Amino acid sequence: MNKDRLTTLSFFLSPMIVMVLLFYLVPLVMTVYISFTQMRNWNVSKYLTEFVGFYNYHRLFYMFQHDPTFKAVLLTTVVFVAITLVINVFGGLTLALATFFIDERPASAFRLLWLLPRMSPIAVYSLVWYYFFHGSEIGTLNSILMKLGVISQPIPWGQIVPWGAWSIIIFVNGLVGVSFGMIVFTSALNQIPKELVIAARVDGASSWQISRRILIPMVKWHFMYVLTWQFLSLLTTYPHLFLLVQWDLVNGDYGTTLALYVFNTAFGMGEQDQGLAAAAAVLLSIIGIIGGFVTLKVLQFEKMMKRPRGDF
Amino acid sequence: MRDVETRPRRYSRIIILAILLASLPLIIGFTLLVLSSFSTDMVTNLNPSSFHPTIENWINVFHGKLATTGGIRANILRITLNTLIVALGVAGVVTGISALAGYSLSRINFRGRKHMMVLLLILHAFPGVALIVGVYLLYRLTFPQTSDFVRLYSFVYVIFARAALEIPMSVWLMKGFFDTIPWEFEWSGIIDGASRIKVWRKIMLPLIKPGILAVALFAFLAGWQDIIYVRTFLIDQTLATFIEANIEAEFSHMPLIAAAGTLYLLPTIIFFITAQQILLQGYSGGIKG
Repeated sequence: MNKDRLTTLSFFLSPMIVMVLLFYLVPLVMTVYISFTQMRNWNVSKYLTEFVGFYNYHRLFYMFQHDPTFKAVLLTTVVFVAITLVINVFGGLTLALATFFIDERPASAFRLLWLLPRMSPIAVYSLVWYYFFHGSEIGTLNSILMKLGVISQPIPWGQIVPWGAWSIIIFVNGLVGVSFGMIVFTSALNQIPKELVIAARVDGASSWQISRRILIPMVKWHFMYVLTWQFLSLLTTYPHLFLLVQWDLVNGDYGTTLALYVFNTAFGMGEQDQGLAAAAAVLLSIIGIIGGFVTLKVLQFEKMMKRPRGDF
Repeated sequence: MRDVETRPRRYSRIIILAILLASLPLIIGFTLLVLSSFSTDMVTNLNPSSFHPTIENWINVFHGKLATTGGIRANILRITLNTLIVALGVAGVVTGISALAGYSLSRINFRGRKHMMVLLLILHAFPGVALIVGVYLLYRLTFPQTSDFVRLYSFVYVIFARAALEIPMSVWLMKGFFDTIPWEFEWSGIIDGASRIKVWRKIMLPLIKPGILAVALFAFLAGWQDIIYVRTFLIDQTLATFIEANIEAEFSHMPLIAAAGTLYLLPTIIFFITAQQILLQGYSGGIKG
């Protein structure tokens, strides 16, 4: 590699490398470091050099065995990720298939509408559902059910544990995630040669048969892509949940996943315990990194990375 | 064109109706929010009688009158400006860096290129909450001692920290856009004796303007909608933290928060009307498979 080439490369790549170093690698090392200290309430000058070894990890393990709150958080994480993942993947696939079979104009309109949860500000989107599930008579769900005569008094849905709180967080995050699957599946469906679909139509196949026998088998790779990617992002998402819990719409224990638990332990109200939060974050990262590598292997991303053809 | 010519038409109405039904909660939720901001009482209870049209909420929001009976005042224009600064800053940083890095990953064959692309994918999937603890410690350790620059520093820091989260996906997206440009454009420049940097600036950048626009738009929205980072790092208030902090106002003032929320939603609505194709195509750009 000659000097000229090196100058060119560093011109193009150094800003990105600096960003990755400053905001990914250095913080990661710092998080691991904090997990071995007794850091509390961000009292950096006092606790930064106070090593406690694996104390925080021991505490996590002890809480896993005995603390009902922490057990609730872990259970919520498992239920939340599992159910929301299924809703996201199959909801996205259903929407993509459904809009595939209608005219372009209404199809784009619907796709755009389903992008709304992802594009709108997190605070506004949460605000919409805050009003919808509100525990008083201004809550839309309560007033619908009261008008239908199903219930006589407003019910604070999010405070019913565990399934009331779980339903709300799954619903709110489920709608955000659906759009990812929808976009990926739509672009995959549009790459399928039209002749296949038209030939099947001429042979008298119904839309359902075409979906089942032609379209779905041909988007298998994308299915795995959405499944693994969405799994990782659900495991680590917390901004919407943060607001729902903060505004007291859902129960604090059964509305908190592990990612939100880390954030609230490190930055929340009252007693903050960064050492413990960092230890939990490290465990979460290990799951995330393993998941990331499994994803890459399953999807065979490396094969897609072709060499630039014309560089000399 | 899909199989429109051969498809039986009668099903398509049923499908449209089905999707419409599934979309109802979304439509209702957002409509009620916007309607409530123009009413004296919340209309989220679906009672037509609680809808009294008024623009008082909007006037109060712009005057920063939170409580109807005197009390606290907030400078909503300043708060909106803060949000805009963060969003534009994130958009600028992300677009610049990914236009540079995307070009080299798409066009230059250097050692470690593949590893760098894999690393970016892993970083994109990495738990953000594990990073934010470390990012905050870095913030504390580099915090200026004199109080003159504290607010400025918090702005700069939140912009770069938030932009970093968008970098991996944006670089991939930008690389995808560069991949679509034929090599002949670039060769013609190189044969004429231009350096790669000059080729990038004079030939490639004008050619991928739509890509730059898409990346900038997504980065802008990411910065605009963020709550976690501005809440953790920024000293000044943005619309997100303003809404978060004031939600527990008394019932009578809830339409006011609805008005603030609608104001916050405006750019999203504007993009929805003006940039539909970019929004729909943008997400699939980086993930061709």
